[in-house]
Amino acid sequence: MLNETPDNETSDAARWARLIEAVAIRRDREAFAALFRHFAPRIKTLMQRSGASEQLADELAQEALFLVWSKASLFDPKSAGAAAWIFTIARNLRIDALRRQKRIPASDTSETELEFQRDEGPLPDAGVATSQIEARVRDALSLLPDEQMRVVELSFFHETAHAEIARALDIPLGTVKSRLRLAMARLRNLLDDFS
Amino acid sequence: MTVHHHPPDELLGAFAAGTIDLGQHVAIATHLVGCAKCRGAVRAMEHVGGAVLAALPPSAMSDGSFEALQRRLDEASETSAPVQRRGRAFSDVPGLPEFLGSYPDSSWRWIAPKVHLRPIRLPEPSATRVFLLKSSPGTRMIEHTHTGFEMTCVLSGSFVHAGGQFGPGDFDLGDGSVDHDIRIDSVDDCICLVAMQGDLKLNGVLGRLLQPLIRM
Ligand SMILES: [Zn+2]
Repeated sequence: MLNETPDNETSDAARWARLIEAVAIRRDREAFAALFRHFAPRIKTLMQRSGASEQLADELAQEALFLVWSKASLFDPKSAGAAAWIFTIARNLRIDALRRQKRIPASDTSETELEFQRDEGPLPDAGVATSQIEARVRDALSLLPDEQMRVVELSFFHETAHAEIARALDIPLGTVKSRLRLAMARLRNLLDDFS
Repeated sequence: MTVHHHPPDELLGAFAAGTIDLGQHVAIATHLVGCAKCRGAVRAMEHVGGAVLAALPPSAMSDGSFEALQRRLDEASETSAPVQRRGRAFSDVPGLPEFLGSYPDSSWRWIAPKVHLRPIRLPEPSATRVFLLKSSPGTRMIEHTHTGFEMTCVLSGSFVHAGGQFGPGDFDLGDGSVDHDIRIDSVDDCICLVAMQGDLKLNGVLGRLLQPLIRM
């Protein structure tokens, strides 16, 4: 065999990208069901860990997958990984939900999406496939010391990140900040080739 | 545009995670308009978010949730174009993120000799206040201290302080411990976007006289 056999996780990432494309091009219900099975229960976990009630987390997970369906044609496998793309959909929904909780009248539900819109300009030479970037990110994460990984994970859940992380891990605020700074610097180094 | 000063990595990570308030978000988004390096870093952090999400333990979805969703799909129309912003607020100021276009516009007001301020009113309450600051060449900022942080994005012109020179695209993060002795060293006006938390205290007699004027 000339090609290296991709490890399971790499092929997972490539498979999710193909599933999203199948939804975009053929409105493929089976592909959508597979995406639902994997991501909806994990988005639910993400929402619950971010402080949503079980019912709200369930609703937000359904809504996220609904957006995966209706926005599938906007997914560009060259510029985003499937998991990263779905993560940004969930992130934006979480921000919208928090605004509704604070009774902030949103002019429309896509407000948050606009706030994250960036003109990326020319992307770095696409010699590196997105699935390879995803594999690289996972490798980078697996190289982080456990204590830094915990802080990174939690930093993706909490709104008022640092103070709540300190409480959750029972460590001083300063330690959270220094661990996060170390972790982000390491990730940045490991990922710099792609940015 | 050569950018020399960037936001710290953990702030870019928090931006990608969606865990900072809207005022800070505006400041980082403004930096990203002019900085490809940090746009790449945010994209990388979103990959980290994807990896964290994909590795989470699953929580069982409620009974019938998939069937309910399927019924919605039948009625759903396909979104083929990204949502577009149409507002024109602040369009006379170059280098701002597009979404500010639909915010309420405001006009420059005089706050001190050679210094004008233009508030950016956020559509939601935020602990962070955001405004544009325009200073004429040669201006020395009034000596001040603040109790929270202060993020400054240079849009045009430049200033210098102990931390170096800051030109278009540069990002400066100050906290209460930094003594700001800032001098505008560009030939033209220096326009910055500032996101600030906490109280600003102007020092000296002149500062105390001006204090009421900078309240927004
Ligand atoms: Zn930058």
